[in-house]
Amino acid sequence: MATLSDILQSEDITSLQHLQLFARTVVEGFTTGLHASPHKGFSVEFRQHRPYVQGDEIRRLDWKIFGRSDRFYIREYDEETNLRATIVLDTSGSMGYRGTGGVLKLDYARKLAASLAYLLMSQQDAVGLITFDTKLCQIIPNRTKISHLHLMLEAMIQTKPGGETALAPVIESLGNHLKRRGLVILISDFFDDASALLKAVGVLRHQGQEVVVLQLWDRDELEFPFSRFARFENLENAEDHVAIDPAAVRNRYLEVLTEFRQQITEGLRKHQVDLLQLPTDQSHATALRQYLTLRMR
Amino acid sequence: MSFLTPILLAGAAAFLIPLIIHLLNRRRIIHVQWGAMHLLHEVLKQKKRRTQIEQWLLLLTRIAIPIVLALCLARPVLNALNQLPGFGKSSLIVLLDDSFSMRAPTADGTPASDHARADLSRILADLPRGSDAQIIRIGGTPRPLNTAPSTTLDLLSADLTDIPAVQGPVSLQNSLQSALAAAQKAGNPSKEILILSDFQKSDWSSLLSGASLPALDALTSKDAATTRPALTLFQLPTQLSENLAITAAELSAQLVATSQPVALKVRIQNHGKRPWQDIPVHLEADGARLRTARISIPPDGEASLYFTHAFDSLGDHALTVRLEGDTFTDDNAFHTIVQVRDQLPVVLLDGAPGASPLAGALDFFNLALTPHLGASVPSLRDLILTRTIDPKRLKESDLAGARVVILGGLERSNGSLFPILRKFVENGGGLLILPAENADPLKWQTDLGKEGPFLPAKVTGQTHIENIDFPARLQTTRFTHPALLYFNDPRSGRLPDGEFQHWWKLEPQGDDARTIASLDRGVPLFIERPLGRGLVIQSAIPLKPGWSNLPLQPWFVPLAQRLTAWLATQDTESSAHLIGTTPSLSLTSSQSAQPFTLTDPLGQSSELKPESATLTLPALTQPGLYQIQPTDASPSDPKSTRRIAANLDPAESNLTPLAPTELTDLATRLGAQTASDFDTYQRLDRSRRLGIEVWQPLLLALLALLFFEVLLQQHITSPKGR
Repeated sequence: MATLSDILQSEDITSLQHLQLFARTVVEGFTTGLHASPHKGFSVEFRQHRPYVQGDEIRRLDWKIFGRSDRFYIREYDEETNLRATIVLDTSGSMGYRGTGGVLKLDYARKLAASLAYLLMSQQDAVGLITFDTKLCQIIPNRTKISHLHLMLEAMIQTKPGGETALAPVIESLGNHLKRRGLVILISDFFDDASALLKAVGVLRHQGQEVVVLQLWDRDELEFPFSRFARFENLENAEDHVAIDPAAVRNRYLEVLTEFRQQITEGLRKHQVDLLQLPTDQSHATALRQYLTLRMR
Repeated sequence: MSFLTPILLAGAAAFLIPLIIHLLNRRRIIHVQWGAMHLLHEVLKQKKRRTQIEQWLLLLTRIAIPIVLALCLARPVLNALNQLPGFGKSSLIVLLDDSFSMRAPTADGTPASDHARADLSRILADLPRGSDAQIIRIGGTPRPLNTAPSTTLDLLSADLTDIPAVQGPVSLQNSLQSALAAAQKAGNPSKEILILSDFQKSDWSSLLSGASLPALDALTSKDAATTRPALTLFQLPTQLSENLAITAAELSAQLVATSQPVALKVRIQNHGKRPWQDIPVHLEADGARLRTARISIPPDGEASLYFTHAFDSLGDHALTVRLEGDTFTDDNAFHTIVQVRDQLPVVLLDGAPGASPLAGALDFFNLALTPHLGASVPSLRDLILTRTIDPKRLKESDLAGARVVILGGLERSNGSLFPILRKFVENGGGLLILPAENADPLKWQTDLGKEGPFLPAKVTGQTHIENIDFPARLQTTRFTHPALLYFNDPRSGRLPDGEFQHWWKLEPQGDDARTIASLDRGVPLFIERPLGRGLVIQSAIPLKPGWSNLPLQPWFVPLAQRLTAWLATQDTESSAHLIGTTPSLSLTSSQSAQPFTLTDPLGQSSELKPESATLTLPALTQPGLYQIQPTDASPSDPKSTRRIAANLDPAESNLTPLAPTELTDLATRLGAQTASDFDTYQRLDRSRRLGIEVWQPLLLALLALLFFEVLLQQHITSPKGR
């Protein structure tokens, strides 16, 4: 059975233990936890009284007030629920890029996903995992048991970079598998047509899912540091390749890259989706700290 | 196309460097397994073809840079461009030496002049289309072959065949002046002055030793640097340094009577380092060899010998001296003409005749003119026939037939005397005026001065030396007047023995008056002045004892005779000419209506028609004897036949050329370049004319390529360039 140490180094695990994940958005939960729920019900934290209307459950009547004032008031509480978080991991071919820094993007993504899973589970949230390349590959439902983490880690370890991926349809199809609303943490390089991607994310949001996108970048992809004449071969399609003088196209590449990132950023902002762009030469702890900072806003 | 430094063309192989780098780069291409292909596709979308073109353009530019650099360094000469109209055209001014020394043989035995013409023809043929050329012959007086720059170079080349090398020494100042004038008229901005010559040392040594020439200074001045023509010294190396030459043959008298001996002094120069022993020298009279003498000449030395001969018939006779011995025979002969006349009538106008012998004003002079009067020996016969007339009784008819009038002892002017004398002189007669011994000079001047410009001098007083121990003497510097050349030889008489105690002070009047001889006190003794066709000589002393001891000197006789002969012959044309001159003869009114036949030394005849009273001969091109006589006259009629002797300029006989080092020094001084054959000149010309015009554009192209490469590189890598 896979263990966390298969993916994470021990210092990372130690580091993760000190992190707390706070969800900004209240989602439905079946376990009372740190996350506030918009559903008023059984809870320890009183919120308000309101007049009884027809249809309210009789059991929620505040009989003490009725006894004092002979009026029916409903007692409302804020409910702390467990988060239902689904980590969606992109294992498409483009995630198989190993940059000049020696880091495999998928490797980084796996570690990031594992870290997130561990953190969420450590605060009693229900965590699930979905991996996909050309299609959805593995779907591990949301659980809160710590033994469930090992199952997810095993699935992560078994993932390999796949073939050519059309990201948008796969994201769109996620809705079919997420029956309940929750947090969708999408770990991907987002290398696809930006408008199609944004449309797919919009669909997910429409279904009530909270979406966080962790977009991974290798430093090579950000800076395009190549100087010698090179043949660039598509990781997702061996027949797709271009031979160019990188120095000659570098500035243009950076322009296109900036446009792409701006388009993604702007589109996600419109859908109220948080975006975290993570270079793979950055430590996972830093990445998670950024994530939590983002979530605590 | 050819290259001046073709070895540097190997540098063009450097084009392989960028190509190899390019190919190696392609070969050592790195493979990148890339994820963000959609970004790269976006980058390359619609730009792929343009990028490829730019990459190829960049590669070609980088390949072209070393090639153009190598071409530039190799200095290409594009001959083909010469044939394009107006490309590389230039103006060539050729100073062609046609002096006699150019007849000297070169290494292959042909004369240098032939080489010069052949090389010049090739040079003209090699000029780019649209070029013009002007050829100036610089032997003697510079004469342009074509008066204006000509672009019909083939016709110009054909004209070269008519240029014989017979002229005198090159006048550098005049030649360069002509070249400068021609250069100013030349139509093309690119100009060259080409001097084709044997560069005789005698012509150029003064310049080489640092002498200044105004024309040369104008040519090489810094002010003219931007527009000054290129100067090329093309030396035709002659192989002959040894040469014997007859440099002169001087007659003791140009005018002699029949049977009167005439002496001929011959000077022979050895222009060489070897001595000559017993060289035979022949004397020929009218083409017939008379006698032969032998002479030895030291290296670089001169020797003289004398011949005498008497002609027994009237007319113009030729004397030719000819030597044998050396291989360069053109200057081994010298020709002279002796005019043999029956009598020379002279009228003596004695204003103060003496009662006793030798007491008259002109008695001593008369005696000097006719020393052999009454002698029975034919060879001692006097040429001059004198007749004494009282000036007061002179009639115009008295001067009929007379050639010279001597006027002496006349104290006062006679009303009719001077009109007669003026007419006589204006018609070609000679007049010698001597002071009246007893006349007051100022009154004499007042009286005779009324004749205005008739007199050569104005009498301003008289000088008398009391101390007879310090008399004035003749100024015996070298005489230049033809009548006195004879006295340059010390053997002709001891001129310093002449003592002068008394003389009239003469002041030349008129721009054409010139002093023939002076006293050592700086005062003129004889002054002459032309009048009409004749000549007047005025003396400061009467030619009788008293004022001087001149009449008592042995050389008084030749002095009197030569002054008289000069007065008698000054209006006759010289019969001795240098090659290249165009002599003219004066004719009487009866002669001017008839045609004349000119026979040159080669025996070829041509007919000449006189213009008014002058017969102008064509330029003399052959050394030797020319004969002119009326076409209808008998060939054997000596009286109607006139002869002319044409000789080469003796200065041209010294064939020693400038040594190569001297020529190089000269070229350095003049800022010129040198050549000694056509191939050298062609290389020089191409490097100068075309080399510059081709490598400069190439250099500009190289700079443009470098700029283009930088700009293209920046354009490719610039975001805006995408």
